[in-house]
Amino acid sequence: MEQAQRDRLSELVEELTTSGQPELNQDKMKEIKKICKVSTDCLDHIYHSVMSQLNQDHAEIRLSAFQIARELFSRSHHFRNLLVDNFQEFLELTVETDLEQPLPPPKEVAKKLKVSAIQTVQSWQASYGSAYKKLALGYHFLKQVKKVDFQDVEARSVAERRREEERQRRMDRIYRERVEAATRDMEESTQEIQATLTEMKSCLNLLLPDEFDLSDPWTANHSLQNSAPTNQCVAEDEQPCCSKDLREERECRGKKSNSVEEKKGKDEREERGKKKKKKKSGVEEREERKGKDPENSQKGNKAAKEGEEEEEEQEEGMRKKTDRTVTEEERNEVGKEEKKEEGQEVLREGEMEEEMEDEEQGGLRCTEGQGEDGLDEDSFIRNSGLISHSYSLDISVDPDVHVKETEDNEAVISTILDLDRLITTKHLPAVQSWVQVFTKSDQQQLLRRALDLKKSLEAALQKCKELHIDCKTRVRRVMKAYADEEPDNDDDDDFEEVPEKEGFEPLIPDHLREEYGLEPSSSTSVALTDKKPPSKRPVAPAPQSSSSSSSRRLKRLIEEEQDPTSAAATLHLLKQRLCQPTTSSATSPSQQPCLGPSTSTVSGPSTSVSSSDKRALEAPVVPFGLDLYYWGQDQPSAGKIIKSASQHQFWVPCEMEEEVENEELSAEGRSRYISFPGTFTPVSHYCRAPLANGTLCQRQDRVKCPFHGPIIPRDQEGRPSRQEDRLREEKEKRRRMEEQPDWRDVELMREIEAATGEDLGSSRLTTKGKGKKRKYPNLSDLKQNANTARSRLQRKVFSKSSMRRVAEAMSKADRRKHDKFSNQFNYSLN
Amino acid sequence: MLGFLTARQAGLDDPLRLRRAESTRRVLSLQLNHDRDVDRIHGNGINTIDIEVIEGRYMLSGGADGVIVIYDLENYTGKPQYTCKATCTVGRSNQHVHKFSVETVQWYPHDTGMFVSSSFDKTMKVWDTETLRPAEVFQFDGNVYCHHMSPIARKHSLIAVGTKNPKIQLCDLKSGSSIHVLQGHRAEILSVRWSPRYEHILATASADSRVKVWDVRRASGSLFTLDQHNGDKSKASSEAVNTAHNGRVNGLCFTGDGLYLLTTGTDDRMRLWNSATGENTLVNYGKVCNESRKGLKFTLSHGCSPEFVFVPCGSSVAVYALHTGELVTMLRGHYNSVDCCEFHPDYQELYSGGKDCNILAWVPVLRSPDTEEESKDAKKGAVGQSSVNPVFQDTWSSDED
Repeated sequence: MEQAQRDRLSELVEELTTSGQPELNQDKMKEIKKICKVSTDCLDHIYHSVMSQLNQDHAEIRLSAFQIARELFSRSHHFRNLLVDNFQEFLELTVETDLEQPLPPPKEVAKKLKVSAIQTVQSWQASYGSAYKKLALGYHFLKQVKKVDFQDVEARSVAERRREEERQRRMDRIYRERVEAATRDMEESTQEIQATLTEMKSCLNLLLPDEFDLSDPWTANHSLQNSAPTNQCVAEDEQPCCSKDLREERECRGKKSNSVEEKKGKDEREERGKKKKKKKSGVEEREERKGKDPENSQKGNKAAKEGEEEEEEQEEGMRKKTDRTVTEEERNEVGKEEKKEEGQEVLREGEMEEEMEDEEQGGLRCTEGQGEDGLDEDSFIRNSGLISHSYSLDISVDPDVHVKETEDNEAVISTILDLDRLITTKHLPAVQSWVQVFTKSDQQQLLRRALDLKKSLEAALQKCKELHIDCKTRVRRVMKAYADEEPDNDDDDDFEEVPEKEGFEPLIPDHLREEYGLEPSSSTSVALTDKKPPSKRPVAPAPQSSSSSSSRRLKRLIEEEQDPTSAAATLHLLKQRLCQPTTSSATSPSQQPCLGPSTSTVSGPSTSVSSSDKRALEAPVVPFGLDLYYWGQDQPSAGKIIKSASQHQFWVPCEMEEEVENEELSAEGRSRYISFPGTFTPVSHYCRAPLANGTLCQRQDRVKCPFHGPIIPRDQEGRPSRQEDRLREEKEKRRRMEEQPDWRDVELMREIEAATGEDLGSSRLTTKGKGKKRKYPNLSDLKQNANTARSRLQRKVFSKSSMRRVAEAMSKADRRKHDKFSNQFNYSLN
Repeated sequence: MLGFLTARQAGLDDPLRLRRAESTRRVLSLQLNHDRDVDRIHGNGINTIDIEVIEGRYMLSGGADGVIVIYDLENYTGKPQYTCKATCTVGRSNQHVHKFSVETVQWYPHDTGMFVSSSFDKTMKVWDTETLRPAEVFQFDGNVYCHHMSPIARKHSLIAVGTKNPKIQLCDLKSGSSIHVLQGHRAEILSVRWSPRYEHILATASADSRVKVWDVRRASGSLFTLDQHNGDKSKASSEAVNTAHNGRVNGLCFTGDGLYLLTTGTDDRMRLWNSATGENTLVNYGKVCNESRKGLKFTLSHGCSPEFVFVPCGSSVAVYALHTGELVTMLRGHYNSVDCCEFHPDYQELYSGGKDCNILAWVPVLRSPDTEEESKDAKKGAVGQSSVNPVFQDTWSSDED
């Protein structure tokens, strides 16, 4: 074999194995095969290079080498012979048959190598096992001694499999327990949920009686619910009319071309338009119909346009969802106008319309009667007061149901809200957890039941949401009650009337706010700023200042404030009281350095007491002390130390002075230290030394930049603006240049070296830095994995110097053992 | 070969010479052959095998799970392909089976109707081959590492037994009792061997790294202790005086004529001793890997002109020339460490058993027929491939061109 081939093979094998790729490069592999095909010597050579690569302590190299071997194994008999002869070693290196020779890291690649090696051995055994005895032996060895399950792709050992089974069993048990618990839970609470649902249903029925809500929300599909009731209403009321109209329209269409009729229709429209009223669809249609009848009898056949319009209207009516008012009206019609006592404005409006319409109807009926006699338009106008037979309609139907809370339905609505909350917070999560449990454990029966429950609960919630219950009224009402009380509160200024509360705290620490039922974070700052400003500026009233984004939260807060027992209420009162006296005061914060959250306990009351006095606010607030206690008086016992005589009954020590005057102490009683550290002025200048990347240094040190020395004034380009600085910097630069001459610049040298091919020693200059480049950059770095907390600690703890230190200390302690007092603890450690 | 044959025909040569030359040639060509298989019966490592000398037909094997199997080695099928069948088995279901690992099995040298096995369950059992029932059970107070019956004894029927106890027990098959104790070792006895030349001479190897040679007629003590330094005190440290190895001595084997004694130790050495004088012959076999904590059963060829030693060495069997110490070849086939090997003197076959539960038969490769050259050519070329097993063909696909 030629040397060139040999070299090429080695090169290819090295390239392939150090590529770090999970798959081989097919082109290179082809080249290898091409060379190997030539002679068995090549195969010998490549076998040895592959085996040496398989011996490398890197799983990626081994994997690639194994893949090469696999490719060649299926090709060449000679290679098979070679490999099978050394099959023990091959198995050790790929399948990890020797426990003392585990596969090298990285772990994932090693695992992959093992799995693929086992699969490969199996396939080899299938195709070559009969011919190569050692292959068969190796296969049986793996199968019987190593207990490799060739069916199991995971290639797990027996122990692993057992562990897996164990885990599975445990999980099964846990699931079973959970299922049992969930089943029990479900049995227990199904009753309750059903009760809740029933309650909800009846509440909703009370709010929205069944005639308007004919579809059962608990069984119907909800997407249909919007349209269903209306449809049915319309159908009930107007089905006959509709069919009739349709028939008429069909007739109409035949005579569309008649212009006179068109005109007539127009007139009619105008006539109706005169009324200038908004009509609701149901009534409207009826009227239309009535208005139409005479025309029909007249053979003055209705205009096609009108017919279309009518059709449109009807369709509109079909499409639209019934407003409450509409339904009311219809009901009124059906119930012979019984319901005129509705208190709601909208309703009243509707009723007014209704009355008008009733009149109209009367009128129309007259017209109808007369129409039969063949009256013309004028008489129609005269009789009915309508200028036109037609009128334009402007229908605005709210697509949603809106339920407003009134005194009548207050109880119902609050029940609904309670139920709603109960379902969302308790039942629904519970049901969802059951569903999860049942899904995991594959319990179809139970799962179906749970899903049914969930569906009905969700349906109830949906229904409840669709009502758009306007519950703000309630809040507003209560607010009003609160506002009524407020004038009294405003009047009295002092604290006497405030109900004393146990553990009253005007300032609640952040972590406790939850406990007190307050807004956790957003209002904390607000509350704090509310506290501080007494001296600062007038503050807006509390409810506005507590700015929480969601109205719900606001509502809750407000509700709580109305509860006199809650902390929020107390806080609210306090806030208000603090705000009022200080609205006029304005002091800058810098004048009161002592005033802060820590002193607010003192400052709060004091400011409120002296609220009338402006000057008092300007005075510094200091912590209370003995000097203040004895302000302007003599301190009788200051600085006197009483030495206690013996407490013994009979034993009396020799005479001694009982009281000692201490100068320092007495002085301390009268003096007070006030420390004034000055104010912090932030650094406003930058270092501005030019950096290598062309920018200026942005460090803001006060005096000296750690990188560029003392901070000196510099111009736009970063040059020092003062002459002496410039000189100094230049000198520095020159000195540095001398240290490493320009021509030894590493980059330059490398370029020259590349151009000339001569070694100028650029590598020597750089090697001191980051260490040598890795030989095979594609392979994953094994040492990188070692960078764990443990290894770092290990490096420190087991470093040579520390070990030596410890050893020295230990031996020192050892030597002490033979000292004089070695058995005494006191002496042992120093 | 032809030269030997003509010389034999002409009566120029001693008949022994042809025989020796041929058997040597056969031994040198020992290979793992897929024509010869041994049934896989053992589910655990194989500790010991023994081939009976009367017919050379039956082989005993003892496994680490206490199972004893008897194989029929004789191939009556007339085909080269043969799998040695297990004729009978003392399996786990047998009520008399050894509870723990069987360490040594040995045929009764004069009849295949009886064999002896000893085990870690502290017993040695004498079996009746026909009924597979123990005819006699000897109880000991320690694990039995080894036992041996003299292959040539006519005046006694003693079994030397090495146990965990440093005393060597001599059991008499006639009386069925332990009749004698040889004292002198200080640690467990890992191997015992009777001399094939003198029926009263016994060699024992112990974990105290000593090898002693006894005459069982003398009660007072051993004849001599083998010394690796041949009595040269200056070379030996005080502890190493009179030791055969620097570790446990776990293998013993006499040469076929009984003139030499081979020992192996855990110091990875093998030594050849003159059995008459106890002198170390200082043959250097190089490193012979030996990590066994129990006895190691190795064997010698028989009837070759330079004799060969077959020593388990890791997962392979090393073949050494006895007197030169030259490593002839390594027989690699086991996938785990090999514990025992046995040479079949009639057919020059080697059987080896190891921890991978296999008993491998190493069979001499017959001289290839004359067509071999052609078929080799055919393998390279494209013609005549049909003569070769299809799996031996190269399958280079054409797209690599």
